[in-house]
Amino acid sequence: MPASARSSPMAINLSPSHSMFKKSRGKSSSSQSPSDAASYLSAVSQADARSRASSNGKFSSTSTPALSLSSSVTSSSEDTVLRTGEDESNHDGLAFPATPPTSEQVFTTVHTEFGHCSNEGYRYTSQHMASEPIEAIHERDPPYYILLSTYVSYLILICLGHVRDFIGKRLKAKAYRELRPHSGYAPLTSDFDSFYTRRLKQRMAECFNQPVTGVAGRTIMLVDRTSDDQNASYRLLGTRTRVLNISSYNYLGFAQGKGGCADAVEEGIRRYGVSTCGSRLEGGSSDLHTTAEALVAKFVGKEDAIIASMGFATNSTMIPALVGKGCLIISDELNHASIRFGVRLSGASVRMFKHNDMKALEALLREVISQGQPRTHRPWKKILLIVEGLYSMEGTMVNLPEVIKLKQRYKFNLFIDEAHSIGALGPNGRGVVDYFGIDPKHVDILMGTFTKSFGAAGGYIAGSKTLISHLRLRSHSGPYAEAMTPPVLVQILASMASIMGVSPASLTSSSHTTLRPVASNESSQALMTSHPGPAPASMIPNWMTLPPALSDGSEGKNRLRRLAFNARYLHRGLDKLGFITYGHPSSPIVPLLLFNPGKMCMFHRMMLRRKTPIIVVVVAYPATPLVTSRVRFCVSASHTKEDIDIVLRACDEVGDWLDLKHGIPAAERWTVQKITERSGELVHPSA
Amino acid sequence: MDSPSSENLFTFLSYSLANFQAAFFRIPGSAVLTRYVKSSHQDDPGRTLLEVILALFVIRTLLQSRTRTDRSGGKHFIQFSDKEIDDLVDEWTPEPLDPPLTEQQEADLAAIPVIAGPTGPKPKLMNTGKPCVNLASLNFAGLAGNEHIQQRAIETMRKYGVGSCGPSGFYGTIDVHTELEQRISDFLGTESSVLYAQGFSTICSVIPAFCKRSDIIIADRGVNFAIQKGLQISRSTIRWYDHNDLSSLESVLESVAKEMKRRRSQKHARKFIVTEGLFEQDGAMVDLPKLVELKEKYKFRLILDETLSFGSIGRTGRGLTELYNVPAARVDMIIGSLAIGLCSSGGFCAGSLTATSHQRHNALSFVFSASLPALLAVSALEGINLLVNTPSILNNLQENVRAARAILDRLDCVTIPSHSASPVIHIHLKTNSTSLHPSTAVVSTKPSNPSSVLPRDAANWTWDAETEEQILQEVVEDALAQGVLITKAKRLRGQELVDPRPSIRLALTSALSKKDTEKAVGVVRSSLIKVLGKRR
Repeated sequence: MPASARSSPMAINLSPSHSMFKKSRGKSSSSQSPSDAASYLSAVSQADARSRASSNGKFSSTSTPALSLSSSVTSSSEDTVLRTGEDESNHDGLAFPATPPTSEQVFTTVHTEFGHCSNEGYRYTSQHMASEPIEAIHERDPPYYILLSTYVSYLILICLGHVRDFIGKRLKAKAYRELRPHSGYAPLTSDFDSFYTRRLKQRMAECFNQPVTGVAGRTIMLVDRTSDDQNASYRLLGTRTRVLNISSYNYLGFAQGKGGCADAVEEGIRRYGVSTCGSRLEGGSSDLHTTAEALVAKFVGKEDAIIASMGFATNSTMIPALVGKGCLIISDELNHASIRFGVRLSGASVRMFKHNDMKALEALLREVISQGQPRTHRPWKKILLIVEGLYSMEGTMVNLPEVIKLKQRYKFNLFIDEAHSIGALGPNGRGVVDYFGIDPKHVDILMGTFTKSFGAAGGYIAGSKTLISHLRLRSHSGPYAEAMTPPVLVQILASMASIMGVSPASLTSSSHTTLRPVASNESSQALMTSHPGPAPASMIPNWMTLPPALSDGSEGKNRLRRLAFNARYLHRGLDKLGFITYGHPSSPIVPLLLFNPGKMCMFHRMMLRRKTPIIVVVVAYPATPLVTSRVRFCVSASHTKEDIDIVLRACDEVGDWLDLKHGIPAAERWTVQKITERSGELVHPSA
Repeated sequence: MDSPSSENLFTFLSYSLANFQAAFFRIPGSAVLTRYVKSSHQDDPGRTLLEVILALFVIRTLLQSRTRTDRSGGKHFIQFSDKEIDDLVDEWTPEPLDPPLTEQQEADLAAIPVIAGPTGPKPKLMNTGKPCVNLASLNFAGLAGNEHIQQRAIETMRKYGVGSCGPSGFYGTIDVHTELEQRISDFLGTESSVLYAQGFSTICSVIPAFCKRSDIIIADRGVNFAIQKGLQISRSTIRWYDHNDLSSLESVLESVAKEMKRRRSQKHARKFIVTEGLFEQDGAMVDLPKLVELKEKYKFRLILDETLSFGSIGRTGRGLTELYNVPAARVDMIIGSLAIGLCSSGGFCAGSLTATSHQRHNALSFVFSASLPALLAVSALEGINLLVNTPSILNNLQENVRAARAILDRLDCVTIPSHSASPVIHIHLKTNSTSLHPSTAVVSTKPSNPSSVLPRDAANWTWDAETEEQILQEVVEDALAQGVLITKAKRLRGQELVDPRPSIRLALTSALSKKDTEKAVGVVRSSLIKVLGKRR
């Protein structure tokens, strides 16, 4: 798609009629003090003058020299640019954009929630390129001294822990009371089971369960805390810190308290209330569920879909309804806990294969089909292959073209968990299927969650109409689990519709016949031909009015392209800095390997204590293998290129301090300066 | 022809051997080793042989895959050639993943009630387009559609957005979660509590977080599906006692205590009793004071599922602990749902700080799931405030329950297993012969086998699930035609450990006036009489 077709989607000037909630919005922003606006305006004009003086050629296409104060205050720009009700300075560089908006650009998002970035150069399309290898990028090993010191670190930690336990149990019996039998009760947790938690995780507990407040968007507010007793308990300090958030699953940046989706949710709560009170089969179904399920099915390109109120429960309650005794599940060794939970409940046999290794998968398939069920050698009733589209700890993408080839040969059923990939991958945001340009009809079951890209909660399973009907009646969720709540449903509808774009019903049919003259005699076929097309207006509730930028799909497209750029930029940038990273370069999940357990806490702390504080997620055993402790970045469309620059700069400095650059030899590395200047070159695969 | 090549081979071998020897002796300490081997061989040649075999065995064990048993090469493995495998692959036809629906399934699907617009005491139905009186949705305290809660939810959404975008561990712990956890534990009177994102998934995870393979769980035979799944995942030893029969529990406790004394290996096993406060299956209520007494006597820990009773039972909705005036701290873990009692979403487990912090690290659906959306947490919080500040809500509910029971109890074509204070009323059909279902409190002479989930008298159950489901569905449809929405208790027949008897489930609400309730229950009553009368 040519970029010129939608030269500056974020710059579409909103007509006053765009929001039917104008009144309420005005009310909410009225608390804002005028001094904020004034100080910001002066900042804007100063920065604008600076940028004009430096006459940066890169921005010449978008920045207009004439910035009149009056024009930048028009319409809703002031209440979207500024944080409401909070007196905030820009000392950390997070509150206001580095490049001030010009009179032409009216941003409809709050910068701290969804960063302002109008440079069309910082866009990319997430799509599989023939030149790119599908196989997982080979995992680079660190020098031996790193491995050795990692093992030694764990050894010291374990020995120290045992020594402390041994002494503690004898000298401080009171503190260890919970670990020993007392008054006839066995300890609730055995000291062996909890050893890892107490002696290893506890030491770096400050990296986890950090309380936050506000929107988990581009930035987030930390509720500051401190511990006086080595992380046994925390004391809140009563202060808050705004930090750059590169940790939340907010791929498309729909975690927003302002904007079209939030307006729709407000209207939804007013119309539908907060809950539908009950399970789907026992009076908890509402027309919103039906609408949302139809839209999800349309979005992913399947006949029907079913929604569950929790992402974890989507897998754990629906997989048992798909397979049972006499069936076999083939599962990737790194599949998520919810899949394993569901698999265990199903009673089916399970075999695992090495992560993303298609050769191992084929060998396993040949073995299990030829051998049949254990002992009896009867053929398997069904074989279900469960893989994830994008693996949340590795950032690897399933080798889907190869899996589909195997599927055609070996006739198994395919279940793809797109928890992280839906919305985050593919030129149209339709997940890993879209990324590889594969027709969704080749996949039997598409599962995904709304927590990540859609800024909502819960999950779905999409498949053929009969299959979904079976799930409605037979999955644990149907009769026993609570139905999804209306606010969440509306958020899904609004965000999904803005990714797809909404087309008036009459317009779609004509445009399709002209664009793709495919003879279709069946309704399901017709659906396939229009995939991935816009959502017909009849599929979203008639009371939901999205602002034009959302309903024409331009902003959705823009978000997808921003995410794709940010993901590749950070990934390739870290590589070029010399770090060891895992995963696919287009994946919005970017793991950076740390190895030594001691570096996890340090990395976390050093990133947090910077001038622009950054929060990161550090993960270690048991979520990863013992040696490969890592930092996991989750890039979002809400990040601007400057935000990624900040992260890269921070990583560069911290990486030097902590000796983390073991990926490529020093001679091949780029400096941060070079990386930030030549970002386009890095992102495009020809580089 | 042959000899030169073999000669070459020998030269090569001797050359490499010499090289190897030289390299070996260059390793520091190698001389000591050689000397040791030499001298030991001299003393006892047999020992050398033994040691060599031992070394080979060690190498073999190390090289073997650790998961050999489930890999190829097991006892039942058959060796096939590639060609044979190809043929077998061609031959194999899997069962379809989506077999066509049966007629019954189609009918069931079509009968699912869908509400158009907001739910509440008198919602509009999609199917008919007409308003009806709602005795199906779980809206005990009438919080659905509450203006104040909606306003707070909107304010929260404006401040926090909708999704939390992360699990609790990774920046998904929002300050309102902590606030709600604090509020719940204050409300119940426990030390702490922990929030889950879904009510159903709460207990499924709580049980396996504590109960491991070597532990012992004693559970009621009538526990709900979520508990059954939790027990399945835990892999603990499970003993069953008759549904809501505490004397049966006592005898099982007695036998387990004896058994544990006998077996020393079980000395450190954790012991749990898992049961429900208000049973989801039939609305029976457990005698909590007696239960607590028993569990303290036998030193068991009690996991009490108050999914239905939290927010609906007790003066202010604290559940059974409030109704029976038992301090919540004496129950080790209380599981509740925010979706049912508070008309929001999510669940919680309240208990000691040790218990909740253990869950924060080990409960699967807590660790691996995104946390509850902030607006739902705030809605639940406001729900608790409303319950505390307006005790009349649950008072009205109890009045409605009494009114409904007064109408239904006089009906002699049905039996009602539910407790007289339960806002959920299950209606069973009365069988002609004397029923032996445990809920009818016919005590069989011999106790049931504690290791089997089936009670002793299961063989004597005379009801036919399929016909009863059909009759009840007719009642449901008849009531709906007269403007009252009720539902059968929906079950996953075949997936439950013991299929409970089909029933109609009425869920009363304080949002309806006593008069409306009486009128609606009267409709249900006349439908029951009409349909059952026709059958006879």
